Amino acid sequence: MKGHLITTGTVTYALKGRDILRKKGFKASVERITSGENSLGCGYSIAVWGDIKSAEQLLRNSGVKILKISEMNN
Amino acid sequence: MIYFDNAATTGKKPAEVINAVVTALKGYSANPGRGGYKYSAKTADAVFRVREKTAEFFCAEGPEKVVFTLNCTHSINAVLKGVLKKGDHIVVSSLEHNAVMRPLKKAGTSYTVVEVSLTDDETTVENFKRAIRPNTKMIFCTGGSNVLGRLLPIERIGELCKEKKLLFGVDAAQIAGVIPIDMKKMNIDYLCVAAHKGLYAPMGLGILICRKSIPETIIEGGTGTNSLDLTQPSELPERLESGTVNVPAIIGLGAGLNFIEKRGIKRLYSEEMKLIKAIYNGLAKNRNIELYTPLPEPWSYAPLLSFNFKGIESNAVARLLDQNNIAVRAGYHCAPSAHKQIGTLENGAVRVSVSAFNTFAEADTFIKTVNDENFFKILKKAIE
Repeated sequence: MKGHLITTGTVTYALKGRDILRKKGFKASVERITSGENSLGCGYSIAVWGDIKSAEQLLRNSGVKILKISEMNN
Repeated sequence: MIYFDNAATTGKKPAEVINAVVTALKGYSANPGRGGYKYSAKTADAVFRVREKTAEFFCAEGPEKVVFTLNCTHSINAVLKGVLKKGDHIVVSSLEHNAVMRPLKKAGTSYTVVEVSLTDDETTVENFKRAIRPNTKMIFCTGGSNVLGRLLPIERIGELCKEKKLLFGVDAAQIAGVIPIDMKKMNIDYLCVAAHKGLYAPMGLGILICRKSIPETIIEGGTGTNSLDLTQPSELPERLESGTVNVPAIIGLGAGLNFIEKRGIKRLYSEEMKLIKAIYNGLAKNRNIELYTPLPEPWSYAPLLSFNFKGIESNAVARLLDQNNIAVRAGYHCAPSAHKQIGTLENGAVRVSVSAFNTFAEADTFIKTVNDENFFKILKKAIE
């Protein structure tokens, strides 16, 4: 199963998003991220495994602001 | 000691709040929203749980709308200074605390003070309506007076704001945890709360819940996010939450909310109102005492009242009560406009405010003490 990182920027949105995904059966956790390309610096992402399109839709419908989605390497 | 200064802060905290604070200090002392390690994540999770609970308690739109501040005054400053611009007009009530009036004076915002009727909500709403001008941007008012206990008709003022397309802010210092607040139903855009009063949390924590944005910030700094960008983040709650939050107080707040929910906010309010009515009736029997409101009835008043011994300075009464191990607050309660309305600018007033922990036995002791002939004699002698 592919894993993705959904960058939310704030820890509050990351925690909210993680809970929403878990309630719908996704495996999800909050990860601290540091500076990357085009990044503004420290932030938080939700690591999620499963159908990323459904996960993204679920979060957007719940008002979770998503900054970026990227595939995890492992 | 009988503690009747609960409008300043609830002097007795529930055992579960004390236990929660101790637990927080022992097991949740990492910085939340900063580190990525397990201990920081655990603390961030605990803070988030309280955000969720707070949002539910006040019917907010979501946990991200709940901002933890230093105190209610900080919350009010964040709203007034963050939203109002030069040329805007704001309507406030005659019962506002200096937490509202001083920021307005400093900002130089044009404002109109509307008299709150102590008996008729219709008159109060009409007074607000009449004060609205073409450049009025916001109505900001207390939910309940910290001097008189008078509750403002928040839901109706909220309706008025909706109708006139105005922003609506409420200073809920005296009503949060005392009466139910539904931000959506009451159309409240900004709710400013003191956690250490009716919510029984420790001091050093305020809450600001937003339904609308706050364009300008009054404090900027580290949020644990976007560190390479020197611009303050735009997203709540971090936008208004620079610096480390008061985790022990936040976790204590969670326990305070549980305490209220377990007992039932309406039941607690009903019991506190019975107590304040008993105190009012006891004081009303004393011909030397002046009271400033009608008998405080539920849903019109918060569980507090002010009184004076005719012609005697309020602090003299409070000092004598303190000698009898009864703690009350005297003076002007940082609300000069309320004292102007009731004509107590000369001597201030003695305020009695109760909480879930006060009893009828304490009320009886208080009434007996105040109504004892010797009490008045000593007071009179002291001023001669």
